[in-house]
Amino acid sequence: MYVAALAAALAINTLVIAILRHDPWVAYKTALNDSLGSIGGFAQTLNRMTPLLLVAITFSLSRQVGLANIGMDGQIYVGGVLATGIGLSLAPAGLPAWQMVPLVLAGGAMAGAAFVLIAGVLRAAWGVSEIFTTVMLNFVAAYLVEFLCTGPWNDPTAGEAITYPIPRTAALPMLITRGGAHTGVLLACAVAVLTWGLLYRTVPGYEMRAVGANARAALIAGIGVTRVQLIALTLGGGLSGLAGAIEVAGVHERLLVGLTPGYGFMGILVAVLARYHPLVLIPVSFAFAVLVAGSDSLQRTVGFPASAVFLVQALVVIVIMVVEALRARRERYVI
Amino acid sequence: MGWQFFFDPEVLRQMVFVATPLVLAAQGELLIQRSGILNVSIEGMMALGAVVGFLVAYVTGAKLFGLVAAALAAAILGLVLGYAAITLHAPQLTIGLALFILGTGLSSLLYRMVIGLRFLPPMIATFPAVEVPVLSELPIVGRWLFRVPAPSYVVIGVVAIMHLFLFHTTIGLRVRATGENPRCADSLGIPVTRLRYACLMIGGMLIGVAGALLPMMLTGTYSEGMVGGRGWISLMLVILGRWVPFGTLMGAWLFGYVDALQYRLGLTIQTVPPQFMLMLPYVFVVLVAIRAYRGAQAPQALLKPYDREARA
Repeated sequence: MYVAALAAALAINTLVIAILRHDPWVAYKTALNDSLGSIGGFAQTLNRMTPLLLVAITFSLSRQVGLANIGMDGQIYVGGVLATGIGLSLAPAGLPAWQMVPLVLAGGAMAGAAFVLIAGVLRAAWGVSEIFTTVMLNFVAAYLVEFLCTGPWNDPTAGEAITYPIPRTAALPMLITRGGAHTGVLLACAVAVLTWGLLYRTVPGYEMRAVGANARAALIAGIGVTRVQLIALTLGGGLSGLAGAIEVAGVHERLLVGLTPGYGFMGILVAVLARYHPLVLIPVSFAFAVLVAGSDSLQRTVGFPASAVFLVQALVVIVIMVVEALRARRERYVI
Repeated sequence: MGWQFFFDPEVLRQMVFVATPLVLAAQGELLIQRSGILNVSIEGMMALGAVVGFLVAYVTGAKLFGLVAAALAAAILGLVLGYAAITLHAPQLTIGLALFILGTGLSSLLYRMVIGLRFLPPMIATFPAVEVPVLSELPIVGRWLFRVPAPSYVVIGVVAIMHLFLFHTTIGLRVRATGENPRCADSLGIPVTRLRYACLMIGGMLIGVAGALLPMMLTGTYSEGMVGGRGWISLMLVILGRWVPFGTLMGAWLFGYVDALQYRLGLTIQTVPPQFMLMLPYVFVVLVAIRAYRGAQAPQALLKPYDREARA
């Protein structure tokens, strides 16, 4: 089944490369080398995996309580904004790295949590669908970043829409120095394990899953449904904000307009494939990161458009969902 | 800056003009939701419609072909959603989100494959404004309602047809019954599955055409991310309009008004950075959504797959 999905995606991909008049074989070899086959490529994959995993946890958490937060891109953006803001404003203070890095990351997480709380409060107070508000807030955050990058924080020497760099002390320590992989991936994996512990080994986590399974039954059982949903939503938003801060502090060391190339939407697909299970998210997000790093490589070599990776990923997910639904239907007739 | 600024005929004309794709996409979604399916892939369908419509119109030189192709392309996405959600009872929300992402990726890929990278983007002629002979001379309404491009008039006609279809025909009643209680409808011999597929196809076509109207009416060219959340906004408009065609028309005009006003304000007030003006419509719809969701009554069977063989 998974083989069928991958084969379908691969066939489409090959077709596209052939239409763009390139040799698919050479293109794939380069893509594989730039994602798994070399230290630099592997480092790129790990860097891509970090935001994907955090964002997928965000979406999973919201799904676990029966909501759907699809504004992760916006939360990444505001996380990046506050992280950059803290980095820039504390630059003159000259704090050491062990104070600076946690401050920047915590700032990003807080911004993401506060941002999603807008949608959460609208949901709790007036029943406004969080799907809709989170998507709309994506655009607000994107315009805010564009404003900061071209306006007050713009680095005039750069000649493009990026801000001044944050101080070196705010940069994340490196994991693989040669390839430029930062330690964010360890943090993300730790968060995934902690989320699993929270959901499956604590009382609040049990309440979350109860709300997601049957909100009415949970309410009758005395669980504060709204409170639990708000907590899960805010926690998730914080993780996406953290992803934004990691992108700023680990990869770019500044804020830029393309801070997220649609990680939020990829995270939805990752989470759907992993059935919202925090531990399964780790391998799935790694696999998707390989796809993203590979498609980056294809972008450089054969001029693959950046968002084409969405097509491949979405296709894999749709094929798998359809095949699973078909199987479920067949099983019913057996009984 | 007095009240005339806000009721400037040019702003009002822009309102009708900018709202046109929204009105059409919302009609399509309304039809789909009335049959009991929640389609959250509007944004992706519109993106696909925009690029297919633009490319076909650019290559053949006839916008009509572009519109037809856009309708078919979006209908194919609708068919996938239908197969998964209606026939296979898969969760509509996740399939819809995946299809939205698929449509977004596919559209930019298609554009790149056909057009490639160019310094100057290819252009097509946009629909010219049509002045209705007598009516455009009317004192107040004429200046803004009757000097817009042809699709704007057609789309208002679509709203009227949708209203007549849903509330004054037998099939319309059956569609609504399907969306409220499919089991009951099925027991009375109404072909629930077929009706849902039909609504999804036709609604998908309308959404695809709405997407194609973006390059054909507003910009004359295709650019990545040009749908800009309009698909999600039309989803909200259906709720704001309480699943009634003319209600969504009013909602779309309200949004179109804010969008048009935003451009005008951006030209008039130079002190505010343009990004904050561009944010305005999005902040506005979030505020409107508070009103939209208060006491909203969705079709009863929305999001619930109908399984004929399940025990009631």
